Formats: sequence, C-alpha cells, structure tokens
Amino acid sequence: MLRKRIIFTLIYSNGYYTLSRNFRLQRVGNLTWLERNYKFQKIAFSLDELVVLNATKEKKSIEEFAVEVSKLVNDVFIPIAAGGGITKVEDAELLFKNGADKIVLNTVLKKDPKLVKEIVRKYGSQSVVASIDYKRNNGFNEVYISDGTYKLEETLEEYLDYVLGLDVGEIYLNSIEKDGTGFGYDIDTITSVSDRINIPLIIAGGAGNESHLLEGLKLEGVSAVATANLYNFVGDGLPIARKKILDSGENIARWNS
Amino acid sequence: MNIVIVDYGMGNIKSIASTLKYIGVSDILVSSDYEKMKNADKLILPGVGAFGKAMDQIKEKKIDQFLEELVLKEMKPILGICLGMQLMGNSSSEDGFHEGLGLVNGLVEKFNTKKVRVPHVGFNQVKINKDSKLYEGFDQEADFYFTHSFRMTTNSNINPSICNYENDFVASFELDNIVGTQFHPELSQHNGLRLFRNFIEKI
Repeated sequence: MLRKRIIFTLIYSNGYYTLSRNFRLQRVGNLTWLERNYKFQKIAFSLDELVVLNATKEKKSIEEFAVEVSKLVNDVFIPIAAGGGITKVEDAELLFKNGADKIVLNTVLKKDPKLVKEIVRKYGSQSVVASIDYKRNNGFNEVYISDGTYKLEETLEEYLDYVLGLDVGEIYLNSIEKDGTGFGYDIDTITSVSDRINIPLIIAGGAGNESHLLEGLKLEGVSAVATANLYNFVGDGLPIARKKILDSGENIARWNS
Repeated sequence: MNIVIVDYGMGNIKSIASTLKYIGVSDILVSSDYEKMKNADKLILPGVGAFGKAMDQIKEKKIDQFLEELVLKEMKPILGICLGMQLMGNSSSEDGFHEGLGLVNGLVEKFNTKKVRVPHVGFNQVKINKDSKLYEGFDQEADFYFTHSFRMTTNSNINPSICNYENDFVASFELDNIVGTQFHPELSQHNGLRLFRNFIEKI
C-alpha cells in the first residue's frame, strides 16, 4: 500500500532560514545554524521529503538559492523539492542540476501557464509541485500569489481546476491564516479540496505537534503532511514525532536502518 | 570500482552521484562517451522526464548502439532508474508510441487516473523476488520511494519484484547483468543505500 508522507519545509530568505507566521518571516539562522541545531543529515532519516522555498520578499536570486540547495542536499538521501522565484525554464533546470528532485511553482502558475506546461513537458508532471496559498475571508477561500501579497479574483475551487489543467504532479496547499500558528491544519478546506483533485495532495499550515500531523495523515485524500515549524521540531523533535506516528499504526514508510 | 552514469541530458544525476560517493564508490563519471562507458565496471542509466524526448536524445548520442554492444554482448552490468528503467523496455505509450531500448521485455503505460491519484508518489511496499541479488539481505517486503505516472508490466520472466498501485506492476527486474528499478534507490533512505551496495557488489 502506498504510504503517506511527512515533509519538512524550510523557508529560506536572504541567506537565512526563517520561521513564518501568517507569511511574516522571522530569521532563525543560516545553514550552519541549521546543521548545528538540526544535525540535518540525521534528521533527514525521519523525513520522507524535504521542501525548500525561497521566500525572499525582494528580488529573488535563483543562482544564490541554487547554491543553497546544493549545500543542503549533500548526504541527504530523500527527495528535495525546491522553488520560489522560478520565472523561466533555465531557473528550473538550475535547481534540478543543483540537486532538486522536484520543483515547486506558485506565482508562475497564474502569470505564465505556458512556462508551466513547458516545464511539465520537459521534466514530467511528477517533477512539478504546484503551491497554492489561500486565506479564508467572509466564508470564502481567497487565493494569493507573490508570497501572499497579491490576491487573485478566482475562488480556491476555480483556481484548483485551472491549476489541474496545467498537468502539474502534486498540490501543496498552504493556509496563510494557519501558517506558523501551531493551531493545527485547516481540516474543512483540506477535505473539500481533496475531494476535488485526482493528484497527490500535500497539506501545509498549522501543524505544531505530532498530533496535528497525525490528524492530517488520517484524512483519506491527504497524501502528505508538511510542517515548517523549526522550533517545535528542533533537536530530536522530528525523530520522536515519527516514532509516535509509526507506533500509532499510521501508514507511513518503515525503513530498516 | 569505476561507474559511469550515462548522461543524455535528463536525470537527477547529482542525487545518484552523491549516493554512490557516500557508499564509497571513488570513481564516478557522468558521461555519454563510448570509451568511458566501455572502460566502466558498471553503468547507471538515470532518467527524469518524458520517454519520447529521452529516446530522441539517446539516439542522437548513439547511446542505444553503445548499450546494445556493452550490455547485451559484453554483459556489462547496468542499473536503470525510474525513466531509465522504463527506457530499457520495448515501448511506451507516453505521448504516442515510442520504442524503447528493448533490453528486456516490458511495456510502459499510464496508470488509470480514474482509479488512483496519479502520479504515484511516495514510499510503497515492494514484494521482493528472492532470486534477485539486488535484494540480498532484505526481508520479504521493503519500502522504496516512487514518483511516476507510467509503469511497466510484462509477460516475460524478467525476475520482477512487484509493487501494487491500481494493479501490480514491475517495481524492479533483474536479468543477469541487466537490472532496473522503477523506484528511486537514491531517494529511499537506508533501503536504497543497501540496494546500491548490492548492485555494486553482487551484480
């Protein structure tokens, strides 16, 4: 049976890894800090995948980000999805060459659907993760692009249909409201979205502890749960969370060490 | 040990190279050069992307002819990974009909998107074929990481190990010196490292 996945998301901005709360970023430390506090190569053995997003608010440098990705992937034998600031095929290529196994697209989904299709044609659907940021307002879910700064006209449902039409491989659904709060995932929206799509769904935004991860994993249409909470899962946090989830009998991968 | 990762311009070469380095392979080349492939102890055929485009690039660089000679005649060990494994089969229906390298009998077709979420992404259990040296030291089942929309089925005995998603499909095969994995051992944690070691030592 296909296992569900636990994903850690690193949010990178201008040389630093950050904590994001409702898309406001707080610097935590650079790669050296991350390695010291996370012993990343060890931690990676309790993760199914790693997502690295360049959330730099000013102009994003894809070259600088690609170098960062290449440092991160050394001796980490799990899939890495990287994105943030991809505006042309060469940007995607640069990230793949530097060790990304998949790329994450967000703003260009709306701004340049031709580019998305071109990347899908070249690398296959399975290499492209579509990241969608949304916020609830007056009972409707509104979609935002450009790091949460620009609101689209479409409803979340309309936008999902549009994005599925681009033949992307997975949806990374992130609640701006829940982001960084540690209050748990937006279960209502996730349930309605998962019924609507026939590709894998990764959920993000709100997980603060392993019971939230578990709650997400239990939703039938959810393929993967992501957390970007650097503090809550620091040190042995992730290995312990994974063990608890495994012990609860949840359907996640078992690796022999 | 000298390994050439066959370079036809498509594939997650960095992940594979860093995994080989980690398990102690000192001499790793990324190349499509005939002499280098001929001098290699083993070959790895990686691949991420579309089948048709991959075959076009392979033919353009004459890699199909090199492989026929080195793999079928000289019996040089080769490991195909993901698309690289699919390319070793007879054909694929990805975006029309495309002939593969034909190193083994296998047909590549898309999962039924009405029945399962496609692509098939994540760790899934592989039922291990006990005759396969790739899995020496493994239990009857092991989890490996998959990410693909097309999968191989076969009528021939290519010593497959099986995974199930929608239906059974070929997770890996092993015909003497020719082995392929639909999953990514380089992204499969300890299980993947162990499989690579077996490829280096046993195939």
